[in-house]
Amino acid sequence: MKKDNTTQAQGVKQRSLWQDAWRRFKKNKLAMVGLVFLAILVVIAVGTIIVDLVTNNYIYDNYVIKQNLRGRLEPPSLAHPFGLDEFGRDMLLRMLWAVRSSLFMGVIAIVISGILGGLLGAAAGYYGKRTDNIIMRFMDILLAIPSMLLAIAIVAAFGTSLVNVLLAIGISYIPTFARTVRASIMTVKDQEYVEAARAVGANDTTLIFKYIIPNAMAPIIVQTTLGVAGAILSIAGLSFIGMGVQPPTPEWGSMLSSARTYIRDSWHITVIPGMGIMLTILALNVVGDGLRDALDPRLKN
Amino acid sequence: MKENKKELLRVEGLKKYFNTPGGLLHAVDNVNFSINEGETLGVVGESGCGKSTMGRAILRLHEPTAGKVFFEGKNILEYDKNKMKHLRRDMQIVFQDPFASLNPRLTVSEAIAAPMLIQKLYTKKDKEALQKRVSELMEMVGLADRLKNSYPHELDGGRRQRIGIARALSLKPKFIVCDEPVSALDVSIQAQILNLMQDLQDDLGLTYMFITHNLSVVKHFSDNIVVMYLGQMVEMAPTETLFKNPVHPYTQALLSAIPIPDPDYPMNRILMKGEITSPIDPEPGCRFYKRCPYAKDCCKNPEIGLREVEPGHFVSCERIGDPELSENR
Repeated sequence: MKKDNTTQAQGVKQRSLWQDAWRRFKKNKLAMVGLVFLAILVVIAVGTIIVDLVTNNYIYDNYVIKQNLRGRLEPPSLAHPFGLDEFGRDMLLRMLWAVRSSLFMGVIAIVISGILGGLLGAAAGYYGKRTDNIIMRFMDILLAIPSMLLAIAIVAAFGTSLVNVLLAIGISYIPTFARTVRASIMTVKDQEYVEAARAVGANDTTLIFKYIIPNAMAPIIVQTTLGVAGAILSIAGLSFIGMGVQPPTPEWGSMLSSARTYIRDSWHITVIPGMGIMLTILALNVVGDGLRDALDPRLKN
Repeated sequence: MKENKKELLRVEGLKKYFNTPGGLLHAVDNVNFSINEGETLGVVGESGCGKSTMGRAILRLHEPTAGKVFFEGKNILEYDKNKMKHLRRDMQIVFQDPFASLNPRLTVSEAIAAPMLIQKLYTKKDKEALQKRVSELMEMVGLADRLKNSYPHELDGGRRQRIGIARALSLKPKFIVCDEPVSALDVSIQAQILNLMQDLQDDLGLTYMFITHNLSVVKHFSDNIVVMYLGQMVEMAPTETLFKNPVHPYTQALLSAIPIPDPDYPMNRILMKGEITSPIDPEPGCRFYKRCPYAKDCCKNPEIGLREVEPGHFVSCERIGDPELSENR
């Protein structure tokens, strides 16, 4: 009898929680569209890097940054579907080559702040009391400084370089992460199932990584996707005021910035990078929402 | 069965105070009792009287402020982390709310297997042996094997509580604190779970500390009963004695509140007046003073302790023996 039961149980297909989440995520059409859009961006970013490596920067040097003043501000046509910019460079190529700086820098900045802020927030939420107080008051200090101003200050002090921009944006997002992680850890840590795990002798590491974090994940994931969107905006903003990516390297924010003087005559060179930023951020938000719904096993149907 | 009574757990002067902004909250104050192997101690009292905190303090889920807890003769409050982890195999807990006490991200079999993996009774490599043990446990608590890969939110309260029981049993404990295990369940399911727990006790020789506010449940279930009020024990007696001859006015009031399913039966409810004394920095003396219908000035005596009124029957009341007290029953 017992043997029968075991075989029967093995016959029942075991689906892991992640497979389940993916199945639910797929049902969300809007989130899937966003995910496909982001996937295309990643492919473009990686693709242009490969093209640069293979052609030894030939396309980059001769089409992306090389000026051609005879064709400046040319509107979209069949030969140049996105038109030419104020120096006669092909907007389509520039848009494609700009993806990597926005996307990768945004992701890296958030990974930095996610890890630092996450660890600080987890420690504050889990250990509470004095640890919590010290960490969170420090975060309050960081939070009191406007993030853009902090980023500008860091870049102004250490000079405009990629690393400094990343650092600047990464640091300014730490408090947001610390707060989110702390709040969700605090709600989860007093749950009875955590106490039950403690009652069977689980140590802090097991408790945090197996019981608390997986259940506190949903808001953190949403925060991450939103954070990437915000970081991309911040990078674009820094570039817009000339402190981020420097010309002639294509970057959506700096493209927008240099194009804004021509907005009355040539709408395409401002609208296109603007649309790029907007769509990317929209996609990130939609995916974030989709993930939040998909990762909650209670919403499973 | 109860001939060679061997003491399994003894609690001496257990205290658990919480620091609150308003002062020290005396959640559990100077509790003494013992439980014999294979028996059940019922702990009753109203909400907020420290029943659950006491259960958790005994398991050191809340570190007690003071006192001693002897398990098999050894004071476990002196144990270090490693010894404590080992001891957790012998002492387990079943929680009140089966909706909150199961990790929503673990399937039934994972939840039941988790304690055994944490305690390293099995390694991840002995998958088959572990799964066999999980199936065994599931059968023991009456869960169908096909539910192995279900998540807790897919199951009803009764089944979830069975998972909670299986999880507690997985380490083969000797002693289980049952923290209101049935009060979150439907009445029909309550009976099933109670019967299951009683069968398990008989089969496995478990010792229970059964925390509840449902007096009918403890009457049916316990060998001895402790009545708590605001963190203190007010009365302790064998079940039958307590129901026949409640001495403390609080116990009398509690027992008078048990509904009797007979409309013609005259209900002599003792209605209590007054407010509950605040457990934060309570005044010395009897904590039931403000609500007690028999309260007198002598009740403010801070030295009121448990006194034995008949063998095995302990009461904490200044006015024991006063005829006024016993005229109610």
